[in-house]
Amino acid sequence: MTVREKTRLEKFRQLLSSHNTDLDELRKCSWPGVPREVRPITWRLLSGYLPANTERRKLTLQRKREEYFGFIEQYYDSRNEEHHQDTYRQIHIDIPRTNPLIPLFQQPLVQEIFERILFIWAIRHPASGYVQGINDLVTPFFVVFLSEHVEEDVENFDVTNLSQDVLRSIEADSFWCMSKLLDGIQDNYTFAQPGIQKKVKALEELVSRIDEQVHNHFRRYEVEYLQFAFRWMNNLLMRELPLRCTIRLWDTYQSEPEGFSHFHLYVCAAFLIKWRKEILDEEDFQGLLMLLQNLPTIHWGNEEIGLLLAEAYRLKYMFADAPNHYRR
Amino acid sequence: MEAIWLYQFRLIVIGDSTVGKSCLIRRFTEGRFAQVSDPTVGVDFFSRLVEIEPGKRIKLQIWDTAGQERFRSITRAYYRNSVGGLLLFDITNRRSFQNVHEWLKETKVHVQPYQIVFVLVGHKCDLDTQRQVTRHEAEKLAAAYGMKYIETSARDAINVEKAFTDLTKDIYELVKRGDISIQEGWEGVKSGFVPNVVHSSEEVVKSERRCLC
Repeated sequence: MTVREKTRLEKFRQLLSSHNTDLDELRKCSWPGVPREVRPITWRLLSGYLPANTERRKLTLQRKREEYFGFIEQYYDSRNEEHHQDTYRQIHIDIPRTNPLIPLFQQPLVQEIFERILFIWAIRHPASGYVQGINDLVTPFFVVFLSEHVEEDVENFDVTNLSQDVLRSIEADSFWCMSKLLDGIQDNYTFAQPGIQKKVKALEELVSRIDEQVHNHFRRYEVEYLQFAFRWMNNLLMRELPLRCTIRLWDTYQSEPEGFSHFHLYVCAAFLIKWRKEILDEEDFQGLLMLLQNLPTIHWGNEEIGLLLAEAYRLKYMFADAPNHYRR
Repeated sequence: MEAIWLYQFRLIVIGDSTVGKSCLIRRFTEGRFAQVSDPTVGVDFFSRLVEIEPGKRIKLQIWDTAGQERFRSITRAYYRNSVGGLLLFDITNRRSFQNVHEWLKETKVHVQPYQIVFVLVGHKCDLDTQRQVTRHEAEKLAAAYGMKYIETSARDAINVEKAFTDLTKDIYELVKRGDISIQEGWEGVKSGFVPNVVHSSEEVVKSERRCLC
């Protein structure tokens, strides 16, 4: 650990242990990334799940975890009843296909946890219900809360090594934090997905202002933004980035006001422009779509995400609610 | 460099969740079987050239769609610009077969005023021991809607080439006979890339542009 990292970690520890954690200060510190050691508790606080007051935390956690398992007891058996069986069936076939290349998610115990979380969330939110893509959104929370109990590589960890109690708290915390996240973007998943439609249009509008050349290139080859950016919105870029990068990205999303619902748009614009050279090099529809569907981020890490976020931040301040005269 | 092709056809692949749409397309376009793949959200794009007669190539642009109902508002926008379609069900999943009617109804409403040439595909035929839909009833259903029927397996690479190539040939015949024609503002069929003259002038344009940069 470098001296700078040590100082940062110390600063987090101080904030987190003070009687009333200063959430504004915590957001400010978390924006450039949260150290692994304190990420679980920081995320619980940033998402609004844990109270800022240290004395109330233990009780809140206990109460919320009991509440969640109360839902399970009350509702989970209804998964095989007629009015819920479509929901459950879809979740059940999607779980083995969630992060299929990471061994952690192939373990039966983990898959059962995901099924419960998603089913309970879906039936408590009938306006959207379960929509593919939401399954991805549990993953970062689960991995981060699991990391609290695992020294080694989380992605290959065997969860049967953990006690029932620990697993239950990871499950309940993942449920609540995911719920908080989804509260802000539920219109992404309601009928006709208006949130996504609106954001893809906004992305198009934004790109037309910040990079006319790329925008015109798409028009020339008849590439529509919806053809590639639908997934960027529906899965919050999780399909485009390695999991470790998503986790780093979410440090910032949770530190930004409306990070998932608003700032994400600027991140998508910055992400697109990051590939402008590759985009302009492609000279037909097919080449463009294949590129945009398979952007080579496999080796990305914190540095790339840091740059991406800095650019998104710049765009947000230059173009947020800017009047039309910004249009070139 | 762009290969030479006579026509470009846009195809759409539809059917219930997990019948194997993406795996079938991947086998066809990438020549391999993906043991695992994320559920498709919205629409994914693939492409491949097929040779229907010696020297006659057709470029296929293939849209892979999400099976889940909620994505219908996105996926149905792609029906209109498709000339052909593969409608998949899973032979081990009766429900996915029963839903074939719904899929045809759904496309019919949204493809107007155009039409899609569909082939009915009974997928996962390597799992014959778990079969829930007989070949006979699938053929009957296909005939009732004027479709061809074929059974495929992406895992064992059975009939994958044939499914796409036969559909392409059928569409080609319709185009040749004038039953389907190229239309302004419709992406279903586009006429091909004419070699020589266009190619060389394109090359000039390209190099000029590079100089400017």
